[in-house]
Amino acid sequence: MNLTESALGLAVGVAALAALAVAALPGRWRPACAGAGTALAGAAGVAAGVAALTGRPFSLSLPGLLPLSGLEFGADRLSGFFIAVTGAVAVPAGVYATGYLRHSGTSRSACAFLPLFAASMLLVPAAAWAVTLLACWELMALTSLLQVLAEHRRRPEVAEAGRWYAVMTHLGFACILAALMLAGGGSLLAVRHLPAGLAGTVFVLALAGFGSKAGIVPLHAWLPRAHPEAPSHVSALMSAAMVNLGVYGIIRTGFGLLGGGARWWWLLVLALGAVSAVYGILQAAMSSDLKRLLGYSTTENMGLVLVGLGAAGLFAGTGHRVLAGLALTAALLHVAGHAAFKTLLFLSAGAVAQRAGTRDLDALGGLRGGMPATTAAFAWGALAASALPPGTAFVSEWLLLQALIHGLPGGGTAAAVVLPTAVAAVALTAGLSAATFVKAFGTGFLARPRSDGAARAAEAPGSMLAGMALAGAACAVLALVPGAVLPALARAAAMTAGPAVAGLVTLRLSGAAGELSPLLLALAVLAVTLVAAGWLRVLPGRRARRAARLWDCGAGPLTARMEYTATAFAEPLQRVFDDVLAPETGIDVTHLDEARYLVAAVEYRRRVPDRVERRLYQPALAAVRAWGEAGRRLAPGSVHRYLGYGFYAVVALLIVLTVTR
Amino acid sequence: MLNLWRKIRAHGRVAEPPVGGRGYPLVPGLRGSVQVRHVDAGSCGGCEVEIGAAFGPVYDAERYGARLVASPRHADALLVTGVVTRNMSEPLRRTYDAVPAPKLVVAVGDCARDCGVFKGAYGVAGAVGDVLPVDAEVAGCPPRPEAIVAAVRGLTGR
Repeated sequence: MNLTESALGLAVGVAALAALAVAALPGRWRPACAGAGTALAGAAGVAAGVAALTGRPFSLSLPGLLPLSGLEFGADRLSGFFIAVTGAVAVPAGVYATGYLRHSGTSRSACAFLPLFAASMLLVPAAAWAVTLLACWELMALTSLLQVLAEHRRRPEVAEAGRWYAVMTHLGFACILAALMLAGGGSLLAVRHLPAGLAGTVFVLALAGFGSKAGIVPLHAWLPRAHPEAPSHVSALMSAAMVNLGVYGIIRTGFGLLGGGARWWWLLVLALGAVSAVYGILQAAMSSDLKRLLGYSTTENMGLVLVGLGAAGLFAGTGHRVLAGLALTAALLHVAGHAAFKTLLFLSAGAVAQRAGTRDLDALGGLRGGMPATTAAFAWGALAASALPPGTAFVSEWLLLQALIHGLPGGGTAAAVVLPTAVAAVALTAGLSAATFVKAFGTGFLARPRSDGAARAAEAPGSMLAGMALAGAACAVLALVPGAVLPALARAAAMTAGPAVAGLVTLRLSGAAGELSPLLLALAVLAVTLVAAGWLRVLPGRRARRAARLWDCGAGPLTARMEYTATAFAEPLQRVFDDVLAPETGIDVTHLDEARYLVAAVEYRRRVPDRVERRLYQPALAAVRAWGEAGRRLAPGSVHRYLGYGFYAVVALLIVLTVTR
Repeated sequence: MLNLWRKIRAHGRVAEPPVGGRGYPLVPGLRGSVQVRHVDAGSCGGCEVEIGAAFGPVYDAERYGARLVASPRHADALLVTGVVTRNMSEPLRRTYDAVPAPKLVVAVGDCARDCGVFKGAYGVAGAVGDVLPVDAEVAGCPPRPEAIVAAVRGLTGR
């Protein structure tokens, strides 16, 4: 029994014990117990993941635990990476939950399933056989669904979000089931040699199933619904840890189980990734609900990860192993970085939603005064998310762009068309994400409060701040010294013998020209900022100064209604991307009864609906509904008729059996 | 390119010296160029029309170094028209406060100088001089554009 195995066992044991304890304890003790259980399980998961990542694989067979097939667990370096990331998200989320749950409801199910959810996510990457993976996947889906529904008594929209999530996650499960059964079930760690057509079908089904969990367009519809409605620590766990497992599934089936595959697979992955990245960040830029914005940003980041996966598959197919390793390393670093900053952002957004009572950016603002620590946490997360130095996403997107640019020579026609487009998509995404997070931070936290709730918001309690601090520290490590984790990630990518990126402070690409040192860059940015700030402070001191009233056109104090709102901030972008977003605007003018020329009221409405949802899901839902209505005529309530159906069905089956045998 | 620099150095300023004017500004710091903010403190609109004409193409006060700007923060001088009404007295004071020093105030029109025909009306707080220190006055109801241009030239000294 090695370290990986015992740590993973400890994680599951702690989670199960915590769940049992929560079920038995009175309401007062439940949040602390659930949070501590989740955090401890997460810490054990980090230990297990790091052990597997640094080369302590394990395999464990539990034949008696599940009928027919039993459970088979095992972890290589890749699994270890995802276990470690999941555990690292669970630690701050658990610490945060102890404070959050105390204020938002201590119902037994909401608390008891939290550690189980974390443990099931730790088990998914450790599953070595198809049936084990499916069982863990389903456990994860059910526990997460119960978590999404935690606040359904207080807000009716939670139920709708839960329905969407349940249906989408089970359709995804059906796709994964079909894919793994077509591949022949059995071990996931061994390469399967299938005929090309069958392998393609398996891959596309797996991509649909795992992609729906990763929130890839057009299967992202559940994500911007479920993430805002779930409690914030659950949003963090789902958005920073659960979606990663979709990426894990794609890597495991594409590179592991099917051993590479045809070029069109990876072109498809790359195209889906690029579309998801751009579409996700555009919708995030339009959104004025803080948590919905973060949900769409998850789609964007998973899209970027998929661009990396697609590029890695393309390069591996053409024999450029070093570049493939670089692209996959970039994708994995982005997974880790996204997990860190999205945890931080969701935790701070949750504190805001709880303290100010709203998630609407147009009603927030002025939180800097009441919630300084939360504001600082969100600012750090926003900086990390917006692909600017010194941020986490900057390093991984830089690596991704390096891989895409260096892949151009010798890639053939497809690469010559696809890779520059992908570079453009990544660059556009980076720019839009900066605008999105400037909007989220600027209108949500700075300026003056736009509502009473925002004006009264007080700082979050210590446990919630501690959760944010843990996630913020992870962001800082990944942003400043990514060289500390990159060699392990490169070995997890397992494309080349040596790591694709070397160096601790200065990252050097091996096999391509390019270096970057995030720490020195951050120090330079800090030094320039300090010098500029100091200069601005010193310079006016030499001249005569006079304190004057803020210029408000002489009419009186500026009110919050005069501020730039989130909707207004996004309006220029909405105009630029009008054809993609297809916003709906309407103006209703009501006239006075006495005279048509006098206006009583003018009402202006603007909505940016999710266009994919409107074009794809609504027709599908309408068809299902019509089908159901048509089928209703078959069930008029007559028992004789139902008995007749049974009789004729048996007869038909017998006839079919007789004919076919 | 070098030739051009040499010519610039040799010739210095090539603009014609201004004709007339006092040749020296009202305030030493504002020589040759004064940014002007117009404030309507309760005018009937007549003075506004004349100010528009004074800064229009015919009288063209801008050639004497004065320019109308959109905010008191950008201004050196205030061009105040009309009687100061009760509602505008506080905004006028705030506008004056928002102008960086050194600053000048020009009361344009009879109403601004001594309340004109509105003297004693119920909504009138007083003339501009009752609210702000006035540096120059332009008489007339409304004053002719030439008079406004002359006052502005007094500020710029051109």
